[in-house]
Amino acid sequence: MATTVGPKGYGVEAGRLYAARRVFNSSIAYILLVISIIPIVIGYAWLIIATFSYRTEGLLPIDADGNVGGWTLRNWAFLNDPAIWHVTLNSLVIALGMVIGVGFVSSLAAYALSRMNFSGRKGFLSLTLILHAFPSVTLLIAIFFVLNFISKLPALGPRFGYNTLGGVALVMISLDLPLGVWLMKGFFDNLSWDMERAALIDGASRFRVWWEIILPQIKPGLAALAIFEFLSGWSAFLIPFTFTVGTRVANLPVYLRQLISDTAPTNWNQVAAVGLFQLIPVLVFFIFTQEMLLSIYSGGAKGGT
Amino acid sequence: MKVELENLTKRWGDVVGADSINLEIQDGEFVAFLGPSGCGKTTTLLMVAGIYKPTEGFIRFDERIVNQMAPKDRNVGMVFQSYALYPHMTVFQNIGYPLKLKKVPKEEMQKRVQRVADMMGIGHLLDRKPAQLSGGQQQRVALGRALVKEPQLLLFDEPLSNLDARLRLSMRSEIKRLQMELGITSIYVTHDQVEAMTMADRIAVMKDGRLQAYAPPEELYDQPRTLFVAGFVGNPPMNFMEVEVDRENGDYHARREGFDVVVPPDRGEKAAGRGKVILGIRPEDVTLADEGVSGEIYVVEPLGRDDLIDVRIGDAHVHILADPTLRLKIGDNVKLKFNTHKVQFFDPATEDSLLWT
Amino acid sequence: MAQTTVTSEALVDREPPSRWAQFRATLGAWGFMAPAGVLVLVFFFIPVIILFVVSMTDLSSSNFSEPWTFIGLENYARLFRDKFFPKILTNTFRYVILTLSFFNVGLALVLALLTTHIERRAGFFFRMMWLLPRITPSVVYILMWRRIAHQPPFGIINQLLSPFGVEPRYWLFERPWLFVILVNGFVGASFGMILFSSAIEAIPRDYITAAKVDGASTLQIIRDITIPMIRWPLLFVTTYQTLSLLTSFEYILLLTEGGPGLFTTEVWALTAYKRALKTYFGHNQWGYGAAWGFILVFIGIVLAFVYLRVFRFNELVQEPKIDVL
Ligand SMILES: Nc1ncnc2c1ncn2[C@@H]1O[C@H](COP(=O)(O)OP(=O)(O)OP(=O)(O)O)[C@@H](O)[C@H]1O
Ligand SMILES: [Mg+2]
Repeated sequence: MATTVGPKGYGVEAGRLYAARRVFNSSIAYILLVISIIPIVIGYAWLIIATFSYRTEGLLPIDADGNVGGWTLRNWAFLNDPAIWHVTLNSLVIALGMVIGVGFVSSLAAYALSRMNFSGRKGFLSLTLILHAFPSVTLLIAIFFVLNFISKLPALGPRFGYNTLGGVALVMISLDLPLGVWLMKGFFDNLSWDMERAALIDGASRFRVWWEIILPQIKPGLAALAIFEFLSGWSAFLIPFTFTVGTRVANLPVYLRQLISDTAPTNWNQVAAVGLFQLIPVLVFFIFTQEMLLSIYSGGAKGGT
Repeated sequence: MKVELENLTKRWGDVVGADSINLEIQDGEFVAFLGPSGCGKTTTLLMVAGIYKPTEGFIRFDERIVNQMAPKDRNVGMVFQSYALYPHMTVFQNIGYPLKLKKVPKEEMQKRVQRVADMMGIGHLLDRKPAQLSGGQQQRVALGRALVKEPQLLLFDEPLSNLDARLRLSMRSEIKRLQMELGITSIYVTHDQVEAMTMADRIAVMKDGRLQAYAPPEELYDQPRTLFVAGFVGNPPMNFMEVEVDRENGDYHARREGFDVVVPPDRGEKAAGRGKVILGIRPEDVTLADEGVSGEIYVVEPLGRDDLIDVRIGDAHVHILADPTLRLKIGDNVKLKFNTHKVQFFDPATEDSLLWT
Repeated sequence: MAQTTVTSEALVDREPPSRWAQFRATLGAWGFMAPAGVLVLVFFFIPVIILFVVSMTDLSSSNFSEPWTFIGLENYARLFRDKFFPKILTNTFRYVILTLSFFNVGLALVLALLTTHIERRAGFFFRMMWLLPRITPSVVYILMWRRIAHQPPFGIINQLLSPFGVEPRYWLFERPWLFVILVNGFVGASFGMILFSSAIEAIPRDYITAAKVDGASTLQIIRDITIPMIRWPLLFVTTYQTLSLLTSFEYILLLTEGGPGLFTTEVWALTAYKRALKTYFGHNQWGYGAAWGFILVFIGIVLAFVYLRVFRFNELVQEPKIDVL
């Protein structure tokens, strides 16, 4: 029996079957995906619920008498504590330090690697790649000695030595450089050569070409890198935790970690509030810059775990 | 400023961009570099501008070797095919950028930019960004930027190839007029031979990195020194066929199957007795006649003013231009008359001209 | 053709030699490289050397002010003799292999397939949700998980599972490995997911349409077309994440600190870190910790070179199209 031919050349019967299978397939996909994000959703839900309640059992807020309910703002009392603003400022300093440091240093180096002909270029390029794959956390032990040494230097010591914000920022900037250089190089590689040639003929030096002509072209790339670096600086835990002692130079994550004590009982709801406080800028950035972040991650970011 | 290139060569590993180029450009002269894509025109131009370093050879500006001189010290202006405007700057800033780099005072810069912009007819667009301009306007900005620093040498790299045909025509004459008025030595790269023929004082034809010919347009057209030049210059291109030239009763005959014409002695003499040589003749030098070489029409391509007719003579093809009102059809038998005072002969092995050396 | 009459030789010496120009250009470029170069030197190169040197000494906080002694490979020998060495080694393998196969590659692939199968905007949304753990500050992220796996009556798992008659318990203590892997996996999966989904989206649709017309089922299409087409990203993610997992310990440090109990979830990188830098007793065995650390660094350097070879990154590199400085 001859079947009439439907659109796209399928038989009508086959087409209908095919469409049904498609709907079925994608509903399974949706179900699986929704299930997969349950733990993530629960984690955030708890954080928000806990922040505004006396205490929680599971996801339920419990009031002082042990009944469900009892919303409160008392967990946010920590905002009156000058200490929190001090560590927030420290977090901000580290984050901005990374934005400026990584942005500046890596766009300088990446420019030379991408656009200049000099001896040693090939070597530097391979080095960037190797370092990009290299697991830098393994060097923390040795960096401890480097920072201790810097501490002993007269002018640099108090600013960039062990247990200083500058030291923490410097270490974090350095460890992120291979990523920054690689990403920036990708952006530079795509720029027009003629524009740069024109600027050189117009009489600009290479440095001015970089600053006045090239950097303005890669503003989107710089912005993406800046956001990425801000987030990683703001959230940094391991390096500040390792290279600082006490609260003077602690940043928000380290401060938060100090609140979770293993010996004394922890006020989890206050901890949750501090956690949310720390998460807010991250989420704001996230909502406004998702696509940029996605491009960074697919463009060359390190894997983390 | 006088420019000389001596043995100028650029290589990247095995890739040859330009191969021992020798030429000399007089002060105020307008020279076109003409050649097919990839023949090394841009490479040569960029060496003159100082962007590429020659692998070998020398560049001289007024007798002074400038191989090592930085682009900014050469005082050249360059116009790129892609315009290469700075997209984040306004038209004013674009044109003023060379002056800003020279630390020219504000008011003078204002004046000079305005003057150049008015000369280019874009004086009213100074506050716009390049993205808000049409292609022709962008090209004028690029030209203005090259002119504003009053260069001693102007370099054009296919500046018109992104414009539509009409605009190209008017910009062509405008550039030529400007160059003549300002008297600036200019090198103009193009792969459009009409552009080269109409604008240049001399044309340098290039192929595979080598200079094939360097001569004024008429000479290039009438006395091509190589087979490549003969075929590349002129539109529609020159016809070629293999012939043998013999002397018979004092006349020189160029012959092949179904083809026998008498050529003038001054030309025939140089091709005679060499076995097979290549005869070249331009389509406009072949006409329909009542008698002559007979052939059969193979293809008719209407070009508007003329029809381009492909006539088969034996197993050779000759293109000619014919009046469309004749309504020639495929398969018609015709007779062709060759203007033998314009024939060219080339050595098939070396592809050099046998007439002009 | 114009011929030049002046010989070049007469004019050559007016020019600075080409070597000098080359050198000047190189100097200028190195100016751009200098800040990065110094930082890389100070925080990558010197540390690798320091780590190696320290690993051959008995340097520790108890003899920091005294002269320390060079003890050769003694720390390395001690490492292999360590009573917990087999335990730590097994832990490390377990951690890397399970997290990698179930999450960083396995789940990542599943997520990439699912999110590219459904409608574009929805796929984007789910990918974004999966990116959240990665950008959440680690301390906050661990805080959430700790509460999820907390003891009764606080734990969220207990509350959710109690309707199904599951006995409430302190999950994190009783199943520490499960949570170590979950916690790392939920962060790790997004990396592969993103690379795989962009690779899948780059597969020409014609291949898939052709296979569908031939009557292939979805699973067959995945097996015969999608997976072979994304084998390079697959290989890249697998090798890259192996190295990352091998050397990472931040989440374990925050979640269990290697516990509960003795070395239950302690992995190699964490051992190195704790021995050298964070001990309960304030006794830092820098030399010994460095020996643990240097072995990882060595593996890292070797693997980094291997990547460079296998993935031919060198070929991505284009030549500059301007010669002068
Ligand atoms: N930076 C470079 N590196 C390697 N090879 C190059 C480079 N620039 C040009 N070439 C090669 O040199 C040859 C000449 O190129 P060039 O750009 O000078 O050609 P062109 O005559 O300007 O062609 P077009 O009309 O297409 O612009 C080409 O084969 C090209 O591939
Ligand atoms: Mg070109």
